[in-house]
Amino acid sequence: MSSLQSHTIETPNEKQNRHKAMEAIKVLNTLKEGFKTPPKAMDYFYNLFEDVYCKQKALHDDKVKVGTMCIQIPSEIIYALDGVPIRLCNGFYTDDEIGSDFLPQKACPLVKASVGHLASKNLTDKPDMIYSPTTCDQKTKAGTLIASFGYDVVDVDFPRTKESEISREFFRRSIREFSADLSLKMGKKLSKKKLKASISKIGYAQSLYHRLSDFRKNRTVPILGNDMFLVTNAFFFDKIDNWIDACEKLVDELEQRVKDDIHAGGKISPRIVYTGSPPIFPNYKIPIIIEDSDAIIVADETCSSNRMFNDRVAVDEWFVNDMIDSLADKYLKACTCPIFSKNNDRIRRIIELVKSHNADGVIYQAFAGCTVYELEQRSVLEAMEKAGISILYIESDYSPSQQGQLSTRVEAFVESLKIKNRNK
Amino acid sequence: MKKIREFINKADIRKFRFWLQLFFFIIFIYGGYFAINLGNSIPVFSCGFDREVGGMCYFLPLQHQLARPLDVLLSAASISVLIGFVTFLLWFIVFNKAWCGYACPLGTMQDWITGLRKKMGIRFSTYTQPQFEKLKKIKYIMLALVILSPMAVGMGLLDREWVTAFCEICPGRMITPLFVGDISQWSLDFSTKTAMILTSLGLIFTGLFLIGSFFKKRFFCFFCPMSAMHYIFSDAALLKLKKDGDKCTKCGDCYAVCDMQIKDIADDVTSTNILRDDCILCLKCVAACPEDDALHFDILNMKLFTSTKGGFEKRMGMQTPKGTTNE
Repeated sequence: MSSLQSHTIETPNEKQNRHKAMEAIKVLNTLKEGFKTPPKAMDYFYNLFEDVYCKQKALHDDKVKVGTMCIQIPSEIIYALDGVPIRLCNGFYTDDEIGSDFLPQKACPLVKASVGHLASKNLTDKPDMIYSPTTCDQKTKAGTLIASFGYDVVDVDFPRTKESEISREFFRRSIREFSADLSLKMGKKLSKKKLKASISKIGYAQSLYHRLSDFRKNRTVPILGNDMFLVTNAFFFDKIDNWIDACEKLVDELEQRVKDDIHAGGKISPRIVYTGSPPIFPNYKIPIIIEDSDAIIVADETCSSNRMFNDRVAVDEWFVNDMIDSLADKYLKACTCPIFSKNNDRIRRIIELVKSHNADGVIYQAFAGCTVYELEQRSVLEAMEKAGISILYIESDYSPSQQGQLSTRVEAFVESLKIKNRNK
Repeated sequence: MKKIREFINKADIRKFRFWLQLFFFIIFIYGGYFAINLGNSIPVFSCGFDREVGGMCYFLPLQHQLARPLDVLLSAASISVLIGFVTFLLWFIVFNKAWCGYACPLGTMQDWITGLRKKMGIRFSTYTQPQFEKLKKIKYIMLALVILSPMAVGMGLLDREWVTAFCEICPGRMITPLFVGDISQWSLDFSTKTAMILTSLGLIFTGLFLIGSFFKKRFFCFFCPMSAMHYIFSDAALLKLKKDGDKCTKCGDCYAVCDMQIKDIADDVTSTNILRDDCILCLKCVAACPEDDALHFDILNMKLFTSTKGGFEKRMGMQTPKGTTNE
């Protein structure tokens, strides 16, 4: 009798959690066991993702959580007001399917997954408010859609061109507005001391990323690109102090690995720069295929990694308004997002990464439905051809199918790079 | 060698600059007391009206020389004019516009006023870009005044009072002598109409100088004819400010710290020589650049001071996670 009573039917949320846990653990196991032994310090990140995505562990119970829809919301300001920034970009196929009910079939899977996740209201660290920069069309519209689910969503105006002086002024004002709004909601004044401290802290976190990236310039690459994606991805939601500690350990270990000549790739693995739509956990489909095909990702130009950490803030006089202006400039002017009218900066960045990391080729992924990356494909391909850099363009989505077809293309590309290297 | 280079690239340039500026200030303003005389072809505003000047601003002698009658000016008798000019060029060519950022007493005074404002917790003001584009042209008009007005006197088109017309309106004439306790320049000259107009303009510009540089960093330098004159010859200088556009990410850090609001420093990724006419070569941009070797200060193509990640982190206090977000 008692066993009958305890029998329960799985709720939609439980089902969602179970499916997501399966997606997550599959990727984590691949990273842990599918390649050469990862650095010991990676365990922190594997456990973190397992806790959050398989065991639904909340990390910031005691804090005000500020959701952000894109990277253009300065986390420096959020931390300075004692909030925790949570980046809501999502990589789960399970959530992508939920989101399909709200968005057109051909919409970007990342947007669909983010919307689906919020629509389910099944979040471990549920954001108390959401700031949505008006970047691409789909993200912009998604903000309004999410508001209809009952979330407090504030649009943060973001210009679609960045060369003009008007756009600089515009975004500076926009960020001032954002910080005033957040400060009001938090019931706190943005203080000079705290903002300076959080700029320093994020600056330090960025310097750790730079040090990790520098190791990948060596002939001996001590860490897989996939592991690096996991590290940067953790910055979306992790406690910043823990993240910093874990990265410091990783830096030390990688330093040792370089000395010991431990290479994460194969002997003749071609070196790849990855660009395009961001791989967000657990959608590491393409990066895993790349590194499974005996190539190694040595650098990337994506908003889930490089773009988040590369550029830093300098301030002359450290008054609150100076800091805010400088932050706004960094988040706008240095941004290499494809939503802008012109995109020479992104092309320049890719070429620079290829040169500085001695890469053999570039792999450009666009999500089917991620219009801006699809649109830019042509100009980037042209520029790479001009610069004599091999590039492969692939389109993919979050679905677990089409694996075979994709790996055939990637393998062929990697093979061609190897032949090229041999003939050099 | 590597260590020395690292030491320089991580140096706190502000301290270095403060002391160097003080050093030059003493040389130029009080040089007379130490029997220092660097001549009178100095490419900065070390004003000749200061009786202890340790090296005179080139504009005062230049204006006197140009006021000769035209036939004398163009004859062999004016070889001294040429010598003065060549001396000026030699001084300038060595240090380029670093004269402005490191040696000019008038520039140093403005930086001290800026320091005062900072201490008072008042934020600096900036021009909007269209304002800036218009205002920056004024310095060429001033330069025209420096050169054409004495020549017009030489040709008999203007009265003698116009010989040093620029000096009459330059704030340096009134302010610099104050440092040696000379207040004689603080007066209006009622002797003639021209003198009255010029000296009252001088008084107005001095007032503007003091107020302007309190709110706007290096307020006067936007209008400085010496800066305009420098720019004409800056391509020939030994010290150069260079940019490697491929390494630039346009993050705007250099622009954010630039006293002169030079936009090209951040946005221009094609020029290698990035020195612009308003530049005072203070090197704050190089110190604030977070990319390795994107901006550098060269002597004959050798990097003297270059932007580095490490140097940036040190100067911006990002070497430790000493944030206070968990307070």
